[in-house]
Amino acid sequence: MLTFSRGVHPETNKALTADKRIEKMPPPKDLYIPLTQHIGKECVPVVAEGDYVRMGQLIARCEEDGVYIHSSVSGTVKGIEQLPTLVAPKSSHIHIENDFEDNIERLSPLGEDASRESALQRLKEAGIVGMGGAAFPTHKKLNPPRGEKIDTFILNGAECEPYITCDHRLMAERAEEIRRGARLFARILGVERIIVGIENNKPDAIEAFKGFSDIEVKVLRAKYPMGAEKQLIYACTGRKVPLGGLPKDVGCIVDNVHTVYSAYLAVTQGLPCIERLVTVSGGAVENPGNYIIRIGTTYLHISEHCGLKEQPVKVLGGGPMMGTAAFDLHVAVAKATSSVLFLTEKEINTEKASPCINCGRCARVCPMYLMPMYIDACTIAGDYKGAKKYGARNCIECGCCAYVCPAKRPLVQSIRLAKRIVRERNI
Amino acid sequence: MAQLEKFKVSSSPHIADDASVDRIMMDVVIALMPATVAGAIFFGFYALLLVLVSIAACVLFEYLYDLLAKKMNSIWDLSAVVTGLLLGLNLPPRVPLYIPIIGAAFAIIIVKMLFGGIGKNFANPAIAARIFLTLAFMRSMTMYIAPMDYSGGFFPAFFDIYDATATATPLRGGGADLLSLFLGNIGGCIGETSALALLLGGAYLLARRVISFEIPLIIIATVAAFTLIFKGNISAVLPALLSGGLLLGSIFMATDYSTTPNTARGAIIYALIVGAFTAIIRQYSDYPEGMSFAILLGNLCVPLIDKYIYPKNFGYSKERADGNRS
Repeated sequence: MLTFSRGVHPETNKALTADKRIEKMPPPKDLYIPLTQHIGKECVPVVAEGDYVRMGQLIARCEEDGVYIHSSVSGTVKGIEQLPTLVAPKSSHIHIENDFEDNIERLSPLGEDASRESALQRLKEAGIVGMGGAAFPTHKKLNPPRGEKIDTFILNGAECEPYITCDHRLMAERAEEIRRGARLFARILGVERIIVGIENNKPDAIEAFKGFSDIEVKVLRAKYPMGAEKQLIYACTGRKVPLGGLPKDVGCIVDNVHTVYSAYLAVTQGLPCIERLVTVSGGAVENPGNYIIRIGTTYLHISEHCGLKEQPVKVLGGGPMMGTAAFDLHVAVAKATSSVLFLTEKEINTEKASPCINCGRCARVCPMYLMPMYIDACTIAGDYKGAKKYGARNCIECGCCAYVCPAKRPLVQSIRLAKRIVRERNI
Repeated sequence: MAQLEKFKVSSSPHIADDASVDRIMMDVVIALMPATVAGAIFFGFYALLLVLVSIAACVLFEYLYDLLAKKMNSIWDLSAVVTGLLLGLNLPPRVPLYIPIIGAAFAIIIVKMLFGGIGKNFANPAIAARIFLTLAFMRSMTMYIAPMDYSGGFFPAFFDIYDATATATPLRGGGADLLSLFLGNIGGCIGETSALALLLGGAYLLARRVISFEIPLIIIATVAAFTLIFKGNISAVLPALLSGGLLLGSIFMATDYSTTPNTARGAIIYALIVGAFTAIIRQYSDYPEGMSFAILLGNLCVPLIDKYIYPKNFGYSKERADGNRS
């Protein structure tokens, strides 16, 4: 069985939604489309208050980063509002009042045999970004500098985060579209070899891809963080991405299955990235499931649609290992929101941190071979040189260390701080 | 749903496994129960009383220290219980009652709390206290008795405090057959004589993944190898492994988290040091027991080992030797 060393085995809790078929969630009356969905500059609106917009119409863009944002419903622009996102208490959103007509405006469909340039241009215009979490513009990723030797395209179908099943359902129900999208990506990159890495806890997804002669299915051991890029590349190909390097340094490009799926729809149907499959789950949810949700739908609407059987204690965008806690429900679904979890007291860690006992468990599970306990101690002591020595910069923030810590120390938080200070002060 | 606005917000990860410090300490206490029971049976009620006094004194000193130093009460992490239990099991069965109290004060206040409490101690508190007591109360601390004679009925012997015969530890030519060594029916410290009980506890700790096998195994193997070299006789090996504090030390005391290296490679070096010193001290010094000194010496090497031995990050290569992000 293909794997990487170290890592952890948290309770997956995927059974809540693993068998729930893809379902459309009706859009709400008011949508708030965040203008910062990617790492980089905020997008600039190209519509103004009072404008009528069609579903799929361009409403904001950031030419510098090559990010385009489209309206996910048809209706009226009510204004630019400051609302919370997962990472900022105030951030600009375009408020659109839905007229429930779904009056759609598509880009002109291109064939699957579209030229490399027109396909890349399309991905940019359709606002396709990495939907696994990073939201990096896909047209840039597929266009590495000349001279880079890429020989393998890897579809990331590991989905190692607990609770999340959206990629799983997408692979099981939309395998053909993903396959065609992957072939398109491979053609853009000029590579022959396409690999899909899927954890062995998704037999129906593996089954769906087994029949394709043009895609190698790599069955991976279900272990967290299998879906982390470097660990996935290692498990699938045995190649190690050098420290500080990128997958292209070992000839690989990795994309999440949902990204490839959305890209396929953008190219062949002219559909911009205006909705995505989201796993809504957690112990507090009445009807957990995998829903196609329009970008800009608030968590509040999701909670009303799916129903809550009890007061959630924590609400997360993303999974419980790497996701971000929302401080209220006005946060809206963005392109990289793979799940919205409403968790109860029992499901989350509420223990207080106590002193480190030096058991070394964090170091034994770190998939990047760091020494989290030392980085934590150095950070607390203000010794950022020490934090750097023990690998702070190479942390992928997967959370394995804090997950196993018997003293419940917030190790990732401290490493993140060290990482940031080492970068800012150029230590 | 009236109150949908109040959520907990914290940094990821939001879940954690069920391991906890007090559970780990409780596991060590559970693992030491067979040895404690064996000690009570072989050396009577007074031995058990010594262990209990030692535990109570350790917990009390930690509580008082927290109180005086205005620190958060830390006794519920149970690490003081473990220290007290280990200290008690490291005492000869008939030392006066003030000895565990003095030992507890030294272990908790000086070795543990003054250096910052749990996780910060430079040496295993119980080991350091045993050495301190041995040096300070040489006569009491080297006075061993033969196991109780239960031929006259259980209770009279169990509660008999004074009528014990002094004996030497088998390490000092006390001579005992292998079965007695294995079961623990020999002279020695309260908790160190029964190899069977200690191995049971070790198996439990391994099964619960509280310790990993490298340290105990390498210490024991090193002692075996050195004994073979020193004595030149294979029949001397097994008695050397089963007697003295070797098993108690290598399974329960040399594996203390704060005083062992944090990497598997470091742990191997540390275990080799402890094993070698144990055998060398046993062979060449005037002390019959080398284990405690060897562990202390090993503990003192740990910061040095940890300074130089830590893993190369995943993806490290010589071409990018400084691990620079490009």
